[in-house]
Amino acid sequence: MKKLLVCIKQVPDMESRFKVNTDGTWYEETDLAWRMNEYDEYAVEQAVQLKEQLGEAELTVLCIGPDRVKETIKKALAMGADRGVHMTDNESHLRDPLAIASMIADFARQQDFELIFTGMQSQDRGSAQVGVLVAELLGIPALTTLVEFAYDQGTITAKRELEGGSRALVSCSTPALVTCQLGLNRPRYPTLPNIMKAKKKELASLPVTDLKLPPAQLKTAAMAPPPKRGSARILEGDTGDVAAQLAAVIKEKM
Amino acid sequence: MKTLLIAEYREGKLLDSYTELIAFSEKLGAQASMFVVGSREQLPAFAGRLYLADVKAATEFNPAVHKQLICEVAAKEQPQMIVLPHSSYGWDLAPRLALALKAAQVSEIVDVRDGQLVVPVCNGKLQRQVDVQTELTVATLQAGAFPLKEAPAGTPEIIDLAVTGSSDLTFSGYEAAAAGEVDLGKARVIVSAGRGIGKPENLEMIKGLAKALKGEYAASRPVVDAGWADHSRQVGTTGQTVAPKLYVACGISGAIQHLAGMKKSDFVVAINSDKDAPIGEVADVLAVADLKQLVPALTEKLQA
Amino acid sequence: MEYTREIYWNIGQGAAVLVPMYVLALIALVLFVYGFYRRLPVYRQGQALDRSDQRSTRLNLVLRGILLQTRVLRERAPGIAHALFFWGFALLFIGTVLIFIQADITDPLFDIRFLSGSFYLFYSLALDLAGLTAIGMLLALLYRRVIIRPPGLDSSFQDGLIHALLLIILITGFVIEGARMAVTELGTPLAWWSPVGLVFAKGLAAFDETTLRSLHSSIWWLHLLLALAFIILIPLTKLRHLVTTGVNYFFTDLGPKGLLPAVDLDNEEAEQFGAAQIKDLTWKDIYDADACTSCKRCQDRCPAWATEKPLSPMKIVHQLGEVAFQTPEAQLAATLERDAVWACTTCLACQQSCPASIEHVRKLVDVRRHLVLMEGEFPGDEVMSAMENTEVNGNPLGYAFAAREDWADDLNLSEDPEDPADILYFVGCYAAFDKRNQAVARAFVHLCRAAGVKVSILGKQEKCCGEPMRKMGNEYLYQTLAADNIETIKASSAQQIVTTCPHCFNTLSKDYRQLGLDVPVRHYTDFLAELLHQGRLPLTADAVDCTYHDSCYLGRHNDIYQSPRALLAAAGGRLTEMTRHGDESFCCGAGGGRILAEEHLGSRISDTRVSMAGETGAPLLVSSCPFCLTMFEDGIKSLDKSGSLKAQDLAELLAQRLPTTQQGANP
Repeated sequence: MKKLLVCIKQVPDMESRFKVNTDGTWYEETDLAWRMNEYDEYAVEQAVQLKEQLGEAELTVLCIGPDRVKETIKKALAMGADRGVHMTDNESHLRDPLAIASMIADFARQQDFELIFTGMQSQDRGSAQVGVLVAELLGIPALTTLVEFAYDQGTITAKRELEGGSRALVSCSTPALVTCQLGLNRPRYPTLPNIMKAKKKELASLPVTDLKLPPAQLKTAAMAPPPKRGSARILEGDTGDVAAQLAAVIKEKM
Repeated sequence: MKTLLIAEYREGKLLDSYTELIAFSEKLGAQASMFVVGSREQLPAFAGRLYLADVKAATEFNPAVHKQLICEVAAKEQPQMIVLPHSSYGWDLAPRLALALKAAQVSEIVDVRDGQLVVPVCNGKLQRQVDVQTELTVATLQAGAFPLKEAPAGTPEIIDLAVTGSSDLTFSGYEAAAAGEVDLGKARVIVSAGRGIGKPENLEMIKGLAKALKGEYAASRPVVDAGWADHSRQVGTTGQTVAPKLYVACGISGAIQHLAGMKKSDFVVAINSDKDAPIGEVADVLAVADLKQLVPALTEKLQA
Repeated sequence: MEYTREIYWNIGQGAAVLVPMYVLALIALVLFVYGFYRRLPVYRQGQALDRSDQRSTRLNLVLRGILLQTRVLRERAPGIAHALFFWGFALLFIGTVLIFIQADITDPLFDIRFLSGSFYLFYSLALDLAGLTAIGMLLALLYRRVIIRPPGLDSSFQDGLIHALLLIILITGFVIEGARMAVTELGTPLAWWSPVGLVFAKGLAAFDETTLRSLHSSIWWLHLLLALAFIILIPLTKLRHLVTTGVNYFFTDLGPKGLLPAVDLDNEEAEQFGAAQIKDLTWKDIYDADACTSCKRCQDRCPAWATEKPLSPMKIVHQLGEVAFQTPEAQLAATLERDAVWACTTCLACQQSCPASIEHVRKLVDVRRHLVLMEGEFPGDEVMSAMENTEVNGNPLGYAFAAREDWADDLNLSEDPEDPADILYFVGCYAAFDKRNQAVARAFVHLCRAAGVKVSILGKQEKCCGEPMRKMGNEYLYQTLAADNIETIKASSAQQIVTTCPHCFNTLSKDYRQLGLDVPVRHYTDFLAELLHQGRLPLTADAVDCTYHDSCYLGRHNDIYQSPRALLAAAGGRLTEMTRHGDESFCCGAGGGRILAEEHLGSRISDTRVSMAGETGAPLLVSSCPFCLTMFEDGIKSLDKSGSLKAQDLAELLAQRLPTTQQGANP
């Protein structure tokens, strides 16, 4: 039976209003709504589709973070993953991508995953490093930024999204890792029977030991909202007046 | 300080983004050398050592081989920073380099502050200033964040690299963008629609305004993803990067990916119901209004 | 001379007549009963549903529905024709039964003949007039069906057969009477008591008695055979509504109006949610198909049908009947067509108008439940993202939940345990996040304060009430939201909840009851009308011409029609009603969760409604629902009517008529 792994992250909803925490190292967690990183939803969907294609396959979902991330693991289980692994780590938001990648690689090394799926990047940190680092640490090929994916007998054929709308055609042999770009597929809405089943699926918690982690490479010196350019002239009030003023400004510039 | 700049060569062309690498390096006051997998036919305007690997041998997209070549150059040049564009090429290659060279990677740099690198967090709603602990840094730059003020000049001193090594993946070419493409890059005026237009029908009024201004209409990624507009109309990091004389952003809150695609516009007008939307930071004029009312009114005024 | 007639005149009452007659009648009755009996197993395919409580109310509905034709008469012209025909035909039936009782029971057994004397005169006249009326109405209905041909009234062979059969039965009745009278009554005073029979008698008077007698006897047998054929045809054709519709009055949903049955989500054994196949619906849903008379009143009122969408409530009922009887294994979503299933706005116009007490909406929502809960399917990606937004941020619009109370930043509405508020204002997502509707929320708070009512809100703890999700079939998300809201409300000190949104109102006051909320809930129009009545709402009338739109969830779903009009009158509103108002109001298009969905098919429902408002000539369209307001603002723009028509919520109009000192003042 082939084993598949999908790595997901829980992130705040990007509509939230972000405030810097008291240490000035990350965002404040109060008043945030949490959800699965959007890129990872595509990763989970692709992994579940592959599992369905293979018939005989076991899909593990892995998530690192504090207890609250279990909710996000459950969503992946409801989408069709078979078992969940929660690496309990209250400090995960402070760790370098390499530290996170090392945790995942250490976990994956003990298993024999045919394919590992990750999102192309996270919506909060946005480093776009973890997936590639995991593959490099494991010594397997990584296909990144995929918008099309096909698997057939140990070969992945895929398309990478490039700037400007064209795509690169790439392929590799498994075991491999792929990072998923938005638009790769249509992430499914979990059905109620699957939500119920997900509640009964295995969700193992693994502790994280700092000893095994690489030393920190980056430190956060400061966190702040982006500086206001402040130069924008603001027009408000009656729509008709605003339209008139705006038309004048535009005519002047043309 | 020494930097090694990794230029990008794609679909037979040296990409202009190398100029941003130069601008960044200059901002750091660093001495730069450059690496490209490319061709002698297309050389960057750059006064410095250029390590050139022939694209015929190394192929345009071949992370393992490119990594190998850059590691060799890095061993010779001993830079403190290796700089790449934060593009599909850069973000794929950078982590591989960082791991191989035991370097920290800083992704999608938008600014340099107090000598430290600044990167966006949460779609640009926050910025993080990073203190690097390693001797070597691998850096990727957000598209458009470091424009070169003057046209690049100079002739590189070319050092040819021999290509060896093999790849664990196969790159077999490109699939062109879908037909019916619009080259937004050449448009003088762009009126762009964001999620704030609410529903696909409202795209009509955006098209109407574009027509009144004799320009093209465009859209942000959510609008394209929803299928309301064609991908060829998309402005942003995964769409087109544009630089019109006038850019009118309608209902675009200003996600970082979008801003990166339109920051070079000469004059930016934003129409948004939220005064605090990030688009306000790049806009020259921000009209705080319901675009469903303002856009038709504005179109009418402009046609009058 | 005593007025009467010989019952078996010319036919005879010997075995040669009675035996074949009774044998045939018995056969007809057996076939009649069997015809219905064999339908029972089909109904039994459905799930259990108890509709046997409150028997006296139910019996009352049956009697009123049948004898007084109350539901049929809700539509004037065809209703009157049907009712008169029914009463005429029923009288003839009773008359025939009386004859049977006297001729074959009381007379031979007890020597009692009651069809005589002045009672016979009355009997004779009444039956003649009844027959005439029935023929007249039948011809009128036939004229409507064949000549006027109202759109949507489809005629089949069956309809032709039924009309012809009834007409021939009625006419042959008069021919029999006429032939008998021509021989026995012409010239007697008795003849005048059968005026229609007299006309036929005069027409037949030219024939000699032998001819008349043989005519009489052959037509008598023909009449008998046709009448028995009619009885046999009842269970086999649309005529079955004679039985099924009346019985369906007994099975009427006694409310609360429009309330959907709750799905038991804790049942871990359950493997099917919603209706995939006919067996997943209830027996009543199958039975409804038999009760349908194809009067197409539902279709006439359906906003989806009116705007060229592939949904006709009548066709849905028919299709379900066909599935139940012919292809019970069929997948309902495919048979009914998804676009039809998703098009329903749950406006309840179909059920309100149905003369057969059919419940259309539940069936569609049950199929939606299957699609959403079992297949993860929605009418569009925009609906799925609205669901996901709601899961994450508690509102379908995707705003940060923490911003839910921003609109009230300067109003100081948070709960104060020291000084509990009079009402808990359940704001709802649109009033909380949508700029246009925030104005309505503020207006409502100002009105309350002007009346000395202290208001509190749940703030960012409030979540979407779940109404659009529930109507879209997402029972799971609805129940999750409802449970959270109920917990929050119970933890507050709320004694009374008021909403500005009729959808929130309907959900909190009915649906949440199923899940344990017992705090009284009111819509602001009702609440303010009471304050007005108590003299606490200091409104100054300022004349304004307007029309008022009855929101489906305020009107049809909750029968609140007068309160908003009383408030409007007090504010100086000079109301010009749209043709379709009150319980005949036409949906804005946003109900049934459609507020979350794009309207890709047909024309826009909101445009249609805005046009109706425009036809009144009034410059102001007043409503009292955030969904309606949103749809009307859209419709006015898309029809380019902003010069001639404005949309306003009633609360805004009222707040403008508060004394200036009280606008926005804190109590």
